[in-house]
Amino acid sequence: MPKPILSKNFGKKNAHSLGVYIQDGGYEAMKKALTEMKPEQIIQEVDKSGLKGRGGAGFPVGKKWSFIPKEAPKPKYLVINADEGEPGTYKDRPIMECDPHAVVEGAIITCFAVGIHWAGIYVRGEYVKSIERLEGAINEAYAKGYLGKNILGMGFDLDMVVHRGAGAYICGEETGLLESFEGKKGQPRMKPPFPAIVGLFQGPTVINNVESIAAIPHIVKNGGEWFNGLGAPGIGGGVKLFPVSGHVKKPGIYELPMGTPLREIIYKHAGGIRGDKKLKAVIPGGASAPVLKPEEIDVPMEYANLAKIGSMMGSGAVIVMDEDTDLVKTLRVLMCFYAHESCGKCTPCREGTGWMAKIIKRIEKGEGESADLDTIVSIANGIRGRTLCPLGDAAVGPALSFVTKFRQEFEDYIKVGAG
Amino acid sequence: MPTLTIDDQQVTVDQGTTILDAAKKLGISIPHFCYHPRLTKVDACRMCLVEVKDAPKLVTSCSNAVRDNMVVFTGTPKVEEARKSILEFILINHPLDCPICDKAGECKLQDYYFRHSRQPSRFKDYKVKKHKVVDLGATMVLDSERCVVCSRCVRFCKEVAGEENLGIFNRGDHSEIGTYPGKKIEHNYQGNLADICPVGALTAKDFRFKCRSWLLCKVDTICPGCSNGCNAVVHFTLRSFDGIKGQRVFRLTPRENNDVNKIWLCDVGRWGYSFIDSIDRLTTPALKKGEDFVKSDWDTVLRETASGLKTVVERYGPSAIGVIPSPHLTNEDLYALKCLFSCVLKVTNIDFKLPGLDKGEGDKLLLKADRHPNTRGAELLGLSGTGLSAEAMMEKVKTGEIKALYLVGSDPVKYIGEKAEEALSRAELLIFQGTNFNASCKLAHVILPGATFVEKEGTFTNYQGRLQRINKALEPLGEAQADWEIFTRLGKRLGSYPSYKYAEEVFKDMAREVAPFTGLSYQKIGPQGIKLTLPEGKS
Amino acid sequence: MTVAFSEKTKEKFKAILAKYPEKGAALLPTMWLAQKEFSVITPEVEEYVAKLLGVPLVRVHEVLTFYTMYAAKPLGKYHLQLCTNISCTLLGAEDILEHLKDKLQIGAGETTPDKKFTLSTVECLGYCGTAPVLQVNDDFHENLTTKKVDELLTKLK
Ligand SMILES: Cc1cc2nc3c(=O)[nH]c(=O)nc-3n(C[C@H](O)[C@H](O)[C@H](O)COP(=O)(O)O)c2cc1C
Ligand code: SF4
Ligand code: SF4
Ligand code: SF4
Ligand code: FES
Ligand code: FES
Repeated sequence: MPKPILSKNFGKKNAHSLGVYIQDGGYEAMKKALTEMKPEQIIQEVDKSGLKGRGGAGFPVGKKWSFIPKEAPKPKYLVINADEGEPGTYKDRPIMECDPHAVVEGAIITCFAVGIHWAGIYVRGEYVKSIERLEGAINEAYAKGYLGKNILGMGFDLDMVVHRGAGAYICGEETGLLESFEGKKGQPRMKPPFPAIVGLFQGPTVINNVESIAAIPHIVKNGGEWFNGLGAPGIGGGVKLFPVSGHVKKPGIYELPMGTPLREIIYKHAGGIRGDKKLKAVIPGGASAPVLKPEEIDVPMEYANLAKIGSMMGSGAVIVMDEDTDLVKTLRVLMCFYAHESCGKCTPCREGTGWMAKIIKRIEKGEGESADLDTIVSIANGIRGRTLCPLGDAAVGPALSFVTKFRQEFEDYIKVGAG
Repeated sequence: MPTLTIDDQQVTVDQGTTILDAAKKLGISIPHFCYHPRLTKVDACRMCLVEVKDAPKLVTSCSNAVRDNMVVFTGTPKVEEARKSILEFILINHPLDCPICDKAGECKLQDYYFRHSRQPSRFKDYKVKKHKVVDLGATMVLDSERCVVCSRCVRFCKEVAGEENLGIFNRGDHSEIGTYPGKKIEHNYQGNLADICPVGALTAKDFRFKCRSWLLCKVDTICPGCSNGCNAVVHFTLRSFDGIKGQRVFRLTPRENNDVNKIWLCDVGRWGYSFIDSIDRLTTPALKKGEDFVKSDWDTVLRETASGLKTVVERYGPSAIGVIPSPHLTNEDLYALKCLFSCVLKVTNIDFKLPGLDKGEGDKLLLKADRHPNTRGAELLGLSGTGLSAEAMMEKVKTGEIKALYLVGSDPVKYIGEKAEEALSRAELLIFQGTNFNASCKLAHVILPGATFVEKEGTFTNYQGRLQRINKALEPLGEAQADWEIFTRLGKRLGSYPSYKYAEEVFKDMAREVAPFTGLSYQKIGPQGIKLTLPEGKS
Repeated sequence: MTVAFSEKTKEKFKAILAKYPEKGAALLPTMWLAQKEFSVITPEVEEYVAKLLGVPLVRVHEVLTFYTMYAAKPLGKYHLQLCTNISCTLLGAEDILEHLKDKLQIGAGETTPDKKFTLSTVECLGYCGTAPVLQVNDDFHENLTTKKVDELLTKLK
């Protein structure tokens, strides 16, 4: 296994302090970027790295940056998405807790490349330790002159702020996040205009996930091609953190090449199924990714390959379910989650998620009716592709895939309940 | 300018036009809840989805701008299926209130369901409980269970009324509209909430449970509440048993006019209509006998009035007559008044400007401090400044120099107070012509019942000098008559006077005689009114 | 009763304001300050915060009711927040929940009569690799078993 990059400081003592970070070569990428590179060059390197957004949508990071207009009437902003709320996902937290300077350094480079002077990091409210560590790192960076006015004497200014969320999954959605950052409910905005044009405080805004930003110093230091080469042969795109949870022997975060087969993640890295049971189902990319059956797990963990088989890469969070798993209950948990987290702004998601949750709860109680499964499918189809933001589709993913791929189990539940 | 095809028809529109607006131009109406032409877009309800050729998904027509060569379909099976689905989503948590809902008959949800769905409910679970009969302010009631969370009301308060006082609390299917607990909406534009709410969630207390909407007739009018001249529609019934006994007019709603009121009405104007059917309406001619008024008939009172005026002119000259009309009257009423008093009787003491007439409280949006719809018209007709001021007339009545005072809808006691009361009670002949009993009417010797703005044809000139028409919706209550008609009948008895049969004839004469109205006709004024070319210094 | 920040909190509030390009953006952090200072966001606190920031009161209430972490009602001394989302449920979160209810004799969303514990079920806390997980105020307890819960409750008594 190659040497870890993103997770190299996980579990390492005092890695969060500036001294240790610098000792380990920290902030060299920032120096290189600010003193040796032109902004366009940085964007080019990031482009070459094949780095795709690690927040879920997988949009190429370099390309996103290039959408920001050079001249704009309003100030430009960087917003780092640390709302990590996708069930099964717990990869950004250790980055912030153990390697906060990587986030700060990544932010400085990003802002320099795009011409931004104000960066905010939106951290979910529960991550108190992450917030402490980030604030500590930011203070250290200010003291060292890495943040604030005239950084490294290069005439570049940057302020950085930590913003604490307050409990709402939808604030992970980029426009919901912007609303929340502005002191409102986190309800998504209509697009267009896209945040790259009209974002935070009406200014052009780059929004990237913590893991995306933390990868930037490595890319700048070692080159885009180097990072791209870390991905699986023929796939590229670097390495990624895969948080594995559920019925595996060794749950944990695995830093692996993009394109690593799902089977390898489950059986090799995570040690296989707990108690050597049989695998029943696996969600490959956080709760919103459609579930896979055991015969589908040879898929390389990468955006296009997962899309091809009808699922998605999402946050890369692998949730493993063994043969004893009650899938009706599991789907109920997920449906209640989406119903609880729907922001309520658009009709199909507001009403549809609640309806699906009610039906599946009823089935679980043994009061299901034979028409219920078709109703769930038709509700899901009524939501799919028709909502304002992707949360609606996120709820549809598990609903449709569970009910169609494991229909027999649901039908049995209904029959027994009725009998 | 992009050209696109919608349902096989081509249309060219301005850059930036939305698909929904482009379709409207072709007469294709796309169902919608959250979209409102005067509010910001939120893209929330998803009712307006349409199919765009080569687009992977249906798109919301209310927010997506057209592109050149775009091909749009608004009625494909895919679109219809989506509409059905959105309606089903809305209805799962919607109460079965139609039979008692004030919005029934003009409810978007009802109409769309009828047009696009008509499918039986598949919902077997419990509905979300929300607040019902919430008192939102002086005039509004909220039923949260009927709300489709389109946020029109929230946006209206914030963007139009300038008061961020409504919000949506909680989230998901528990989202609920409301004011901050215990607070009320306070602005003067609440009534619009009932208009823009696409369903029966926000209803006006004034209209609550009074009449089924489909029993109401509608006629275009102008709000008489102030000099702004907001375009309105009066809703009324012709059969008294349809609603509340004795009530014929049930509400005023706004009519779109970009140059005047956009698409809003203020509450002062909207709910000012109640005088029309109120118990203090003057419905028969009457004469004072001792302390009391005694019912009379038109012939008698017109005879008394004419002979009274004639005697005063003969004995003391025209300067012994004073006339105070109200700028509530139409141009036609005022022109007919002018013909009678200044042409036939040569009276110069005519003044509509009671002190303080224009001293109400206005606001920045619509409501003007001057609460009269035709002040500008009265000015243009020269009904002030030719003789004594209204205030001076009071003095002269007291000293006995003015013997007869003719009030047309005006109320000097209200504006001048005791001094006027004293003067009026000393007048030898006090004639009151108007729609409702008031403090000045109380002192009159003769009462001539006039018609209200919904009971006659005519025109008002608003503060900007915009000439606009009002239309007759109802017959005058009891024996009341339009003021121009009363003056015509009086005129005949006092000299040579045109025999007007219609308000339009009065207007034609006025258009011939009075400069700013030259060349105009009812037809030219049209439903949206027309801006007059005003004499210098009067714009 | 009128509420107001202590001098120390006022300083913190000023520092927060200085960080944002627009005042209204400080609403969430200010509500955090208020929650820390007053434990509950009562109507008086809402009004105070609205005034401090010059934002409409109704917006403060929207925010209070939209986010799950602001307390509109008093919480117990220990706020036990059990994740019942997927990874935790796969590893027995529901048994832990039943156990907690049993032990504390309250349901989810309730507070013990002695005001010591409030029990809540919450969505994924980002500790799925060490599920099931319980958040107690700002601390996280991972790889929970009923035995660990018992130990924890004794410690918190
Ligand atoms: C409902 C929903 C929740 C999301 N939650 C997160 C999140 O917690 N963290 C995150 O980084 N991105 C999340 N995203 C994705 C963001 O919208 C956005 O794509 C991402 O932050 C962009 O950064 P990236 O390009 O670096 O991935 C979420 C999206 C949706 C629709
Ligand atoms: S899809 Fe759901 S979360 Fe997204 S805007 Fe619509 S209601 Fe809100
Ligand atoms: S809002 Fe419309 S659909 Fe609902 S009860 Fe009223 S009339 Fe019926
Ligand atoms: S009350 Fe009416 S206008 Fe307001 S959100 Fe509900 S449906 Fe829309
Ligand atoms: S009308 Fe288009 S989304 Fe509501
Ligand atoms: S599912 Fe419980 S912490 Fe993630």
